[in-house]
This record gives sequence, C-alpha cells and structure tokens, in this order.
Amino acid sequence: MVTTDTTLLADRLDKPSRPRHTSLDDSRGYRIFRVVNAVLLLGVVVVTLYPFVNIVAQSFSSEVYIRTGQVNLVPRGFNLDTYKLVASDPAFWNSYLNTVIYTVTATAISIVLTTVYAYVLSKHRLKGRGLLVGIAVFTMFFNGGLIPNYVLVNGLGMTNTIWAIVLPNAISVFNLLVMKAFFESLPAELEEAAAIDGLNTYGILLRIVLPLSKAVLATMILFYAVANWNSWFQAFLYLDRSDLFPVTVYLRNMIAGATSATSVGAVETNAVAISANIKAVTMVLTVLPIVAVYPFIQRYFVSGVMLGAVKQ
Amino acid sequence: MRTKWKRTLLTAVAGSLVVSLAACSEEGADAGGGVNLDGKKTASMADYKTGAQFKATEPLDVSLLYLDQSHYPIKDDWLLWKEITQRTNVTIKPTVVPYSDYDQKRGLLISSGDAPTIISKTYPGQEEQFVSSGAILPVSDYIDLMPHFKDKVEKWKLQPELNTLRQEDGKFYVLPGMHEKIWQDYTLAFRTDELKRLNLQTPKNWDEVYTVLKAIKAANPDSYPLSDRFEAKSILNYAGQTFGTQAGWGYVKNTIWNESAQKYEFTGATPEYKQLIEYFHKLVSEGLMDPESFTQKDDAAIQKFASGKSFAISSNAQNIINDYRPNVSKIPGATVAKIPLPAGPKGDVIRGTRLESGLMVSAKAVESDKFVATMQFIDWLWYSDEAQEFTKWGVKGTTYDKDASGKRALKPEVAFGGMNVGAPKNLQRDFGFQGGVFYYGGANELLQSMFTEEEIAFQKTMADKKVVPLPPPAPLNEEERERAALMESPLKDLVTQSTLQFILGQRDLSTWDAYVKELEAKGSNDLVELVNGAHKRYKEKNG
Repeated sequence: MVTTDTTLLADRLDKPSRPRHTSLDDSRGYRIFRVVNAVLLLGVVVVTLYPFVNIVAQSFSSEVYIRTGQVNLVPRGFNLDTYKLVASDPAFWNSYLNTVIYTVTATAISIVLTTVYAYVLSKHRLKGRGLLVGIAVFTMFFNGGLIPNYVLVNGLGMTNTIWAIVLPNAISVFNLLVMKAFFESLPAELEEAAAIDGLNTYGILLRIVLPLSKAVLATMILFYAVANWNSWFQAFLYLDRSDLFPVTVYLRNMIAGATSATSVGAVETNAVAISANIKAVTMVLTVLPIVAVYPFIQRYFVSGVMLGAVKQ
Repeated sequence: MRTKWKRTLLTAVAGSLVVSLAACSEEGADAGGGVNLDGKKTASMADYKTGAQFKATEPLDVSLLYLDQSHYPIKDDWLLWKEITQRTNVTIKPTVVPYSDYDQKRGLLISSGDAPTIISKTYPGQEEQFVSSGAILPVSDYIDLMPHFKDKVEKWKLQPELNTLRQEDGKFYVLPGMHEKIWQDYTLAFRTDELKRLNLQTPKNWDEVYTVLKAIKAANPDSYPLSDRFEAKSILNYAGQTFGTQAGWGYVKNTIWNESAQKYEFTGATPEYKQLIEYFHKLVSEGLMDPESFTQKDDAAIQKFASGKSFAISSNAQNIINDYRPNVSKIPGATVAKIPLPAGPKGDVIRGTRLESGLMVSAKAVESDKFVATMQFIDWLWYSDEAQEFTKWGVKGTTYDKDASGKRALKPEVAFGGMNVGAPKNLQRDFGFQGGVFYYGGANELLQSMFTEEEIAFQKTMADKKVVPLPPPAPLNEEERERAALMESPLKDLVTQSTLQFILGQRDLSTWDAYVKELEAKGSNDLVELVNGAHKRYKEKNG
C-alpha cells in the first residue's frame, strides 16, 4: 500500500527519477482501477461540460429552436444578432467594466493582505502566533451574521462604494493557510543567508521569498480572481445604484428575475420573459474572460497548491 | 496561553451579544406614536384635498426602495423622474434593488433600520413579518392625510377589503394598490377551430367543460385534450373558486371562511375541496387531462398545444398573444381564445380581492418635519386619478394623445405591448412609465384602456359574475403567528402532495378519511382553532 501511495504521488509530481512501470502498476486490480477511474472521470467531464456547451450552442441559436427544445450541442438556426443586441446594451458593458474594476482591485488587495499575513504566521518564533492563527480560523466558523454585517459596512460609510465590495472578506482563511504552509516549507537557511548578507525582514520577503513563490502567488491570484469575478452577494447587499452593479447582478436579475416572473404568473402579468438566447449570450460573455485566462494560470495551479502540502 | 485568549474571546463575544440584545429591546420599546403632527408640516400643502395637484411648498427629497425589472432597467434620464419633480417639487431618491432578490434585500434593509421612506412593491400579507419590529409605520393612523386614498376607498366601497389587512392592534401597515373591480385574468383557452369543427358550444360550466373535452377526445383518441401549464396551479385556482374552495395558486393559507357556519375551516379537508379533487380525478382517469399537467414545465405544455397534441390550456390575456397564437400558427386554420370562466357547483361566482401590491412607509418618516408633505406626495402619486393616468400612459402630448371621447392612443413613435410594434421608443424602457413600482390598480376604465378588444369583451362577461364575500379578519398575535408558521407549511405540503396523488389516482379517494386523520395528526385542528380564536378576539375588540 505504502509503495502505491508514494508511486502515485511521484507520478503526480512528475518526478522522472521513479521507474514508471513497476510490477504493482501492472497488477490486475490496478488496471481495473484505471479503467473504472477513466470511465468515472469521463462521466464527470460530460456532466460538467454538457450544460456549458449547451449554453454556448443556445447563444448562437434562434429563439424558436430553443423554445421547442431542439438545441443540444450544435446551434440551430445560427445567428449572431443576439450577440449584437447584448453588445449594444450600454448597461451590460457598464456592469462589465465594474466587474473588471472590482475584480482587479479586490484581487490586488487580497493578495497583499494574504501574503503579509501568511508570511508572518509562517515564522514560528513570532510571539502570539497562535492567537493570530486563532483569530483567522475563528472567522471560518463564526461570523456576525447578515444584518450586523450590513449595519457595520453601512456604519463605516462604505455602502455604494467600491470598498464595500473589495474590503469585507479580503482575506480568505483557506487561502491564507495554504500560503502559510507554503512559506513554512521554504528552507529557513535561505532566509538566514539573506539576513547575513544584510537584508532586513522586508528585503527578505520582497527579494528572496516572493520571487520563489510565483507558483503559489499565481494560484492565489487565480483563486481570488475567480471568486471575485463570480461574486454577487456583496454587490447585491451593499450597492443601491444600478450604475455600480457588477455583471453578476445584471445577469442574475435577468435570469432569476425572468424565471420567477413566469413561474409566479398570477402576480406579474405584464412581465415579459427575457428570451432564452439573450440569457445564453449574457452567460457566455460573462464567463468568457475566466475561461480564457484559466488555461494560462492552470499550469501553476497544481504545483502551487501541492507545494505547501508536503513538508520536506 | 491558549486557554487565556480563548477566554478573552468568549467574554468579548458574550459581551457584544448582551449589548446588541439590549439595543434591540430599546428599539422595540418606543414603537407606536400619537397622531400629533405639529412641527411635521414643512413643505406640505395646507389646502390639499381630492382632485388637487400636490406640489411641495419647498423642494423635498423622498427615498424609495425601487424594484428593478431586467426588461426595463432603471435610467436616471427617464421622463418619469423629470415630470414627477416638475409637478410635485419632489425628487425621488431610489435605492435600486434587482427584482430577482427584492424580498431578501427589503427584509435586510428594514431589519437593519436603514430602510428608505417608501418601501414599494409589497403585497398584502408581506408586511406581517415586519409589524412587530416597529420599523413600519401603522399607516392607518395617518389616512386623514390622504384624501385621494380615502376617496377611492369610499367610492369603490373598499372598506371590507381594507379590514382584511388589519393586524392584531386593529391597524394596518401596508397601503395597498386598489382595483375598482375584481380582475380575473386566468381561465381556460381552447382551440376554437376544433370546437367549431366538432360543432361544440363554448362550455359555460365545468360539467360542459367535461363534455367538450370528452367530445374532443372522441375525435382525437391519441390526444390529451387538456394538457395544462403552471403545474396546473392556475386551473386549480380558478376552478377552485367556483367549487367554493381554494386550491393551487389560491391555496395560500390552510384555512377558509365558511359563510354559513360563520367560522374558519381547514381548506384541504372540506367537502368542497374533495369535490374539486374528484372532478379533476375524473378528467385524468378518463384520459381527458394530461397527467403531466401537474409536473411539466410551461414550455412543454405550450409545445403540446402548439403542435396540436392538446386543445385546451390555461391562459391569461398575455399568454394568448405571446405564447399561443404565434406558435399555433403552424397549424393551418388554428384559432385560440379564452373562454369565460366556467361556473361551478357554487354557481357563477368569482372569489378574489381588489387589493394589489402596494407600499409600506418606514416608521422613521414620522420623525421628519416633512412627514405630512411626504404622505401627501404618496397620496397624490399612487392614489389620484391624474397620477395613475400619468404613471400608466405618460405625459399627454409627449407619449400619448387623448381624443374628445376620452380614448387614449400612444404617439406613433412610442411602442408598448402590442401597440405601435417597431416604433423607435418604448413607453417602459425609454420613458419609465408602466413601471410596476408606480402603476397598478386604479379605475376600471384606466385598467382596460390598454386591453385588446377581445380582452375587454372577456372582462365584460366576468363583470356579470357574483363575487364571493370576503373572509373576516383574523389577525394573529406574534406568539400565535410563530405557532401557526410551524404548522402551516407541513400541512400545506401534505395537502399539495395528497391532492396530486388523489387526482392522478395514485391514492384512492376512498382513503379520504384516513387523509383527514393524517392532517389532524399534523395539527390541522389546532391551526383552525388558533385562527378562529383570533377571529373571535378581533370581533370582540373591533365589532
């Protein structure tokens, strides 16, 4: 068992030093496992990919085919008019721009705060380190609740400003702990050598530690950026002006608003259902940037998270 | 070390809890206030009365919780805003909340004590949860400031309806939208060409509906003549009225008023409810109604109707125009129309209320020196004939014209609904009129001014129907409301579930008594007792 585990781990870490084929790899049980594994994962791929492809297909289809349920993987009644229509809506682009601004600012703030916090926590000689960890972990399990949070943010004068979006939850405790583990895995000798050469604490962090942490930084940026891009609730709570709404609020109002109008039925008789292909186009345009960026950052992704996991 | 900071933290948490609890109870204490309006009359009109145009004597800002619909997103440059300010000297400061999650944010803002002065788009009943917090103004105390509101209540005899809004303290907390007449929009729509082909008369009651469906089935053996949408909640609702009960969309609370016995009963256990279930069970078991009616998505039902697999479907005026006519056009010669709501065992009746969604006023407003002006403004914008026409049709000469006979028509460059299709501007999107926050209810003439001829004819037949009297108020106090809330939804779930099983034949109707026993086990009798107690108490207190 132990051998299998380390072999698998070595495979995942791409360490070429291990011989690729041992007798255990070829055992019958392992082969069956691989087949089952492949089938299962393929199933997962289909389940996750199908709705996505379906939405993309809908976005290029004409309304009649969607309404009659004829669009699956390939667009029917191909048209680009809906894209032109959505793209010509200034409200959409305004909220899109807001999302970009919120995401960039929030990610920058989060990365700075998380890095600094995690670096401090990685130093075992720090007094009161346990308390600092405790404060962070406490927030994973307890929070003030919705209304007190709202009263707080409002009392600080942050409602209807970008700060209400980017400051609360700036530090994700999970990310903080991953980063802390990564920093702890860096050899202490490296920093000692830098200190002897005359660097102070900040110099060590900026010139030695961070350049060595690109992988984990990229991962953190990815985590934070995706979370911020998709974030809807903060904006919904703290923003009262439509010119400040991010694209997620725009999208949710379009989808949930339209569906609840039709399902309630008795109430909003003059509600016009937003056509299915407009919804699809907006969804595609909203996820596009994340989908485009993901492959480029993903190569850091595995190594970034894994690096902190095993102490050398 | 470790235990020490843990203890400090615990103390801090406990301390803050105590503080916040104390703050809460303080807030609750000073709820309710007298009707002394001295020092609150800044900017108000001394001689404001019915028919008067409200204009604040000095500029006034009023904050408003605004429900933003995605198909006409709010714009700052709407003519609506400019015109309101010009006419009333009031500037509305909207807090914009997306339609998708309006209820949640409304609750949050009210609970945090940060609600805007006017909290719009609140359906009667939705205000109950906020009453005990003291954050909402008991508007019934200030009705004298609202001449247009009072005028309409008197003219349209709305007092009994208003009484249904009263809470335990005898006051009401929501200013409802008001219709002159009950507006019944939903009914069955039939493929009228098929009726004509088979020489069938338009059915006038549910027995005739059964006969007609049977005749259609005989001519089209492979079809389900009726395949409904809205998960059949609509048909159960409008049929239920004529069976003397409440079902489907109409099944909001578990209790129903029995006029002859003068007490509340458990809706799902009444003989009327059973009769309704038996009727629909008959339709399903004889293959006249598609069993999928109760579960399928709207689109699937529309598809069946559009492709000629079914011949009847629930509909409102909009559905006919938007969903059925365009889609059914693939079948040559196909025509669709709503039939007048069929009469039932309880006669040619409709049950309903003329109250609509309305608005709440924040309790904080009464502390302002401009309180009277604010109430006058609300009265004018939401309850005067002039403003109701304005928020529906826009500005005369700009968005619409009115001829000598009083008939209105949109300007050719302005489109709305089925009118002036293809015109460059839209009454809702580009001008802000016809918005759900400002326009609802009003005089029948105004309501029907945008209806199609066909719909006006339909409404004429509906106007002849007898209206079932309203149930008397039975407001629960806070403790009772909590107890009732615990019973309401499990009971409702059981009723809904069993209704479906009975109708589909999965459960035999001979087990009805056992079903009633199950309801009793879940507390149906306790609930009825609770409501009857509240009704008795209200009657003794308020006559």
